[in-house]
Amino acid sequence: MKTVLIIGSGISGLSCAITNAHLGNKVYLVSPGPSERSQSVMAAGGINAVLPGGEDSIDAHVADTIKGGCFLENEDDVRGLCEAAPHIIEWLEKSGVQFTRDKNGEIARRAFGGQSFNRTAFAKSSTGKQIVTGLVQKVRRYECNGIIDRKTGLRFYAALIRNNECSGAVFFDEQKMKLEAIYADAVVMAVGGMNGLFGKTTGSVLCDGYAAGKLFEQGVKLRNLEFIQYHPTTMETPHKRMLISEAARGEGGRLFYLSEGKRVYFMEDKYGPKGNLMPRDIVSECIYNAPSQVYLDISFLGKKLIHDRLEEIYDLCMNYMGLDVTKQPIPVYPSVHFFMGGIRVDKNHETNIKGLYAIGECASRYHGANRLGGNSLLAAMYSGKIAGEHIYANATPKHTEGEFDDILREYEYQFSKRAQSKSNFPADFLEKELAKIMNENLGIVRNEQKLNEGLESISFYLDAISRIQFDSDVSLYRGYRIYNMFLLSKAVVMSALSRRESRGAHIRSDFPEKYGDPLETTARYENGEIIIESERVK
Amino acid sequence: MKVRIKRQESADTEPFWQEFSVDVNGNDTVAAVLDRLNYTDDLFDVNGERARRVRWECSCMQKVCGACAMVINHEPALACNTFLRSIKGDVLILEPLSKFPVVSDLVVDRSIIADNLRRAQMYVDRFAKADPKKYENLYQTAKCLKCGLCLEVCPNYVKGENFFGAVFANDAYLMYENTQNRKSEIKESFSRHFARGCSKSLACAGICPAKLPTLSSISGMMKAK
Repeated sequence: MKTVLIIGSGISGLSCAITNAHLGNKVYLVSPGPSERSQSVMAAGGINAVLPGGEDSIDAHVADTIKGGCFLENEDDVRGLCEAAPHIIEWLEKSGVQFTRDKNGEIARRAFGGQSFNRTAFAKSSTGKQIVTGLVQKVRRYECNGIIDRKTGLRFYAALIRNNECSGAVFFDEQKMKLEAIYADAVVMAVGGMNGLFGKTTGSVLCDGYAAGKLFEQGVKLRNLEFIQYHPTTMETPHKRMLISEAARGEGGRLFYLSEGKRVYFMEDKYGPKGNLMPRDIVSECIYNAPSQVYLDISFLGKKLIHDRLEEIYDLCMNYMGLDVTKQPIPVYPSVHFFMGGIRVDKNHETNIKGLYAIGECASRYHGANRLGGNSLLAAMYSGKIAGEHIYANATPKHTEGEFDDILREYEYQFSKRAQSKSNFPADFLEKELAKIMNENLGIVRNEQKLNEGLESISFYLDAISRIQFDSDVSLYRGYRIYNMFLLSKAVVMSALSRRESRGAHIRSDFPEKYGDPLETTARYENGEIIIESERVK
Repeated sequence: MKVRIKRQESADTEPFWQEFSVDVNGNDTVAAVLDRLNYTDDLFDVNGERARRVRWECSCMQKVCGACAMVINHEPALACNTFLRSIKGDVLILEPLSKFPVVSDLVVDRSIIADNLRRAQMYVDRFAKADPKKYENLYQTAKCLKCGLCLEVCPNYVKGENFFGAVFANDAYLMYENTQNRKSEIKESFSRHFARGCSKSLACAGICPAKLPTLSSISGMMKAK
């Protein structure tokens, strides 16, 4: 029996845990909190799959995904994802996921952006939450017989890597205030996107990018970091930006702005009747270029449809904005939502470090320069499964007794220095600065001058942070994560500088030409330097 | 506005009260107020004493993850879903949930919720398609945040040693309706860990931030064969 350490217990982590447990591996499933706190519960709109009946086909799903991603992914990989989708839906249904049904009792599907057919299976507007509930009970079954061991209250500190091979990870136990090492034959990162670099985004504050930034420092390669998805329809509330799911437009919602008191349905004017459901990169750019405030109207869909299929959108707007979507349009603006870039993985989701895998949003695969709505839940499920199967077939048992003692002593020393800090300087202050820099310089439309300004500011802070001790009042975690969040941000900005074209979510006003050679960007960290390389997509 | 917070350095230290003064407006949530306190350059209490920043849990900030459950002006609630305009009086009083061990300040250890669902073996195993008429209820039940507010208000829930509370009853209903081969085990577990201990105060039904149909889950399980 092999031992697998999975870090993160959202949908991809749960999927990987179940796959490993089913095949007979022992699993440690580690996260800061229970799965109910993961960002996966916020996923609203649905999960793409070509189900039996109708004119849709796997070929069409593959073609839409590759075209939506602006031709930056390997077709065989995307085909694997799309071919697995119907089986994943069937499996989820049998795991007790409460999908919305059509009038014949079959799983209903809705239209989503950039898709040639209605392909998105859904559970009203809380698809992620419903999937998490189904998977949690599956995992619980394996917990009951000791195959999966869940550990909560642990924050990632560092991976245990030697000779280009990963044998476990070190965590910070916030209750016991100490570091804990867990050894394993394979380690899987399922830590979500890098929202934290941009402050409060539509996602969870737990997805802060620290783990990717730390692994980068430890020699793990990152890919396509410049592709950051701005979701077209988010709403500003007093404490964060909130997502208005694409499901709203999937069900018929229309975008407009007002010109001399008249509604201008600018997406339909430009792209025809399906204009509101163009891929997200295109819609976001159009909203960015609109002459005045853009609104999303779903009121005409009627109370019944809104209750039956968009209940959570109604609740969200009523609760946080006092806005009745059955009567009023929603003011919307694009905001950071998803990271197509992340940890570089091969087709089995293994990184350049043997035995270290990355799955879900933290891995860069399938989505190219722009992800289609409904493909992230699918990729989370699929990548967990692929990594699990590869680990089962390939991981080799490791003998780690004493092998990392020197590294652990060093970590303990660093950690105790932080814990003893008497500084009053809050890491939160620098996080806010970082978010400001990233939002100002890595917006929807970028240019070399702004990117260089961002790079200069980040480099300045990065240099300063390594010499600052932080206030450990809120959490020691906040003190140690900040350096790697800045380091990762620097790699993101450098990746954006290196891509001298406009493609998908990366729009350069100084390089408006679209679609040069299909290149992917790799960032690596060597001898204290960030190195960015580009190579043709294979 | 004055914000009075029950604080505790760690699990084995004594709690104490500390008061702060914060600029707010009625549309702020309690979560936004806590954020503002912690983003202050230097945090001082109303007596001008330097104060530690406040520890509290959050993830989604839009009432779908349950992390920020706490007691707000004596009422258990989610910080991200409690607006200052709904607070009576001019003092905001924040305390950690009282039915769980305090980790620090407003952070509590709620791992007993998952532990008890494991102890009661709440899983489906062989799946059976539920009656389509029950889909809506099952969908709503599956939205449980595992936030612990239903346990906080329950007069029968103490430490979760035998009586597991509404969070368990809802999961039991969900598992029962979806399982083919474990109905009798789940029913038996429900009797042991819920039915025998519930005095039907029904406080759990009103407090749920996800508006779970708890009464319907309980009644469904009571009728279950």
